[in-house]
Amino acid sequence: MTVRSTAPWLAWLLVICSATIAGAQTLPSEPIALAGGHVTLSGDASATYGSDDPGFFDYTDYQHSALRLLRLDLTAAFKAGPHFTLLGEIRSENLDSVRPYALYLRIRPWAARDFDIQIGRIPPTFGAFARRTYANDNPLIGYPLAYQYLTSIRPDALPASADELLRKRSLGWLVRYSVGDVNPDIGVPLVSAFRWDTGVQAHATVGIVSTTASLTTGTLSNPRFTDDNSGRQFAARVEVRPVVGLVAGTSFARGPFVGQSAARAAIGDGRGTDFTQAAWGGDLEYSRDYYLLRFETVVSGWRLPIIEAPALPERLGAVSVSLEGRYRLRPGLYAAARFDHLGFSDIVGTRETAPWDAPVTRFEIGAGYSIQRNLLLKLSYQHNDRDGGVLLRMAHLTSVQLGFWF
Amino acid sequence: MKETVSIAVSALVSSVTLVSFVILAPERSGAVVAASPGTIRGRVELRRVVRPMERRPGVADLGTAVGRDLPNLLRSVVYLESAPRGAFETSEGGHAVMDQRNETFVPHVLAITTGTTVDFPNSDQRYHNVFSLSKTKAFDLGRYAAGHSRPVMFDRPGIVRVFCDIHSHMNAFILVFSHPFFGLTDDEGRYRIENVPSGTYGVIAWNEGTSSEARPVTVPASGVAELDFTLR
Repeated sequence: MTVRSTAPWLAWLLVICSATIAGAQTLPSEPIALAGGHVTLSGDASATYGSDDPGFFDYTDYQHSALRLLRLDLTAAFKAGPHFTLLGEIRSENLDSVRPYALYLRIRPWAARDFDIQIGRIPPTFGAFARRTYANDNPLIGYPLAYQYLTSIRPDALPASADELLRKRSLGWLVRYSVGDVNPDIGVPLVSAFRWDTGVQAHATVGIVSTTASLTTGTLSNPRFTDDNSGRQFAARVEVRPVVGLVAGTSFARGPFVGQSAARAAIGDGRGTDFTQAAWGGDLEYSRDYYLLRFETVVSGWRLPIIEAPALPERLGAVSVSLEGRYRLRPGLYAAARFDHLGFSDIVGTRETAPWDAPVTRFEIGAGYSIQRNLLLKLSYQHNDRDGGVLLRMAHLTSVQLGFWF
Repeated sequence: MKETVSIAVSALVSSVTLVSFVILAPERSGAVVAASPGTIRGRVELRRVVRPMERRPGVADLGTAVGRDLPNLLRSVVYLESAPRGAFETSEGGHAVMDQRNETFVPHVLAITTGTTVDFPNSDQRYHNVFSLSKTKAFDLGRYAAGHSRPVMFDRPGIVRVFCDIHSHMNAFILVFSHPFFGLTDDEGRYRIENVPSGTYGVIAWNEGTSSEARPVTVPASGVAELDFTLR
């Protein structure tokens, strides 16, 4: 659902603002415990209203603009003794259907050891940002490009040649190809922060080092509940905390990206798992006193089957770099900024050699004010710049967000 | 949910009561001040179940969160609704400590007089970020490591809710009085308020945001007045 009318959104925001401010003291301010503490419920709600985005810079893989979004989350944990916890989260965006965002069993085989196994729709192993997309974890309103920006490639539809891919630069919002599913649909981000993958995950911490490994059905760009190519993605992450306040992490993931039906349409049966997404990520966080700094980079490559000349190189590459900072100005008030760049590898077409998608640079600056501890008002301004493509190349976007959690 | 709502409302009511009483007390106090002070003592019985704030379900966490201590929620504060004349002249700022240990504020409840400086040491091997948005005293101490401490001076009476910005289940109360006539209960719920000038006073018991009605008590010179409370 694309919401373009401003009136309903303003009404939503006004209703939520009035209700929350008038009834702030009567809203829950902490998780709800049931069944003697065995069941814990918490929730997040955020209403965002911002500029129209005709360049589709801020659209997510659920086809919503991150700057015009009403998001409702309900999270639950059921503790069945010291070894088993069932965790789940349901989410609705813009009052669309409710989706299961997470549902997994966490097993701690030895209560005294910091080792867990998680099975089901599990949190992302790769990177740092994907696990903090909630409104109160993200100091700004927009998301890092690597986790949100829709590139022009799809797992279920393929360009026949490099020329066809070059013609689709900047059209990740709605792209159509001649091989596989020929209907227009959205492209994929480098890493999806809006859906979680399904599989099994193991996590252990020893001293200052934490390691995580997982085997899942989808890939970073295309997390899935059901398999579409009989392949599994392997992902791993190592995180080190050498001193208090410093976290350094590195991640790796590799798995079949192209769906079986698209691969079959391109090259026939038998090689459905050859066309992979492989990615490496590095992240760093340092905080002290009133400031917090975060750096993250993601390098991703996709192999696609191409049936016509000019063909593609071995991999389509993409690199993202994100630098984010937050500073607390006074109790309840902070300022934040993020610089983001997403670049793509060159490919050779008949008429030109160019990045296979249009590089994007984003600068976002904003502030957050806590009306009460769990009611946060954010304002942000975004400057987006796209180098190429057929859509709007530059956009100045402003937005306001009210987030509530318990 | 109902319980949460009623606790929140009670907290608001009790905050207003406490703030208004401590500010207005000098004008309102009609108690007779005698030379020999007495004592008010008694017991606060809690007939309601108060649970420590739960962690939010860590759905996005890669593993189980580290263990934590649970706060002692059984300690209540008993205080005079209106203090005797002259009580405000003796208030001197002192020092108190609220530690951050195993993701818990220790103690969970502090009762202090205005002018007191509270130190917030971090005894955990991870960051905490103590803050409060209370109208009585808003502050944010930022992030600091184990072995470090930062102070806050409380110069106005009222209830201050203290939280950690990193661990949402960490919370504590600081009750700031502009007079010294208050006492904290022990593990059995017993309290004692010493050096109360003889006279008749209203006394209030408070626990985790819920407070009793003010109950009258007459303190004899050099004697003891007994007063028990039940909080539901």
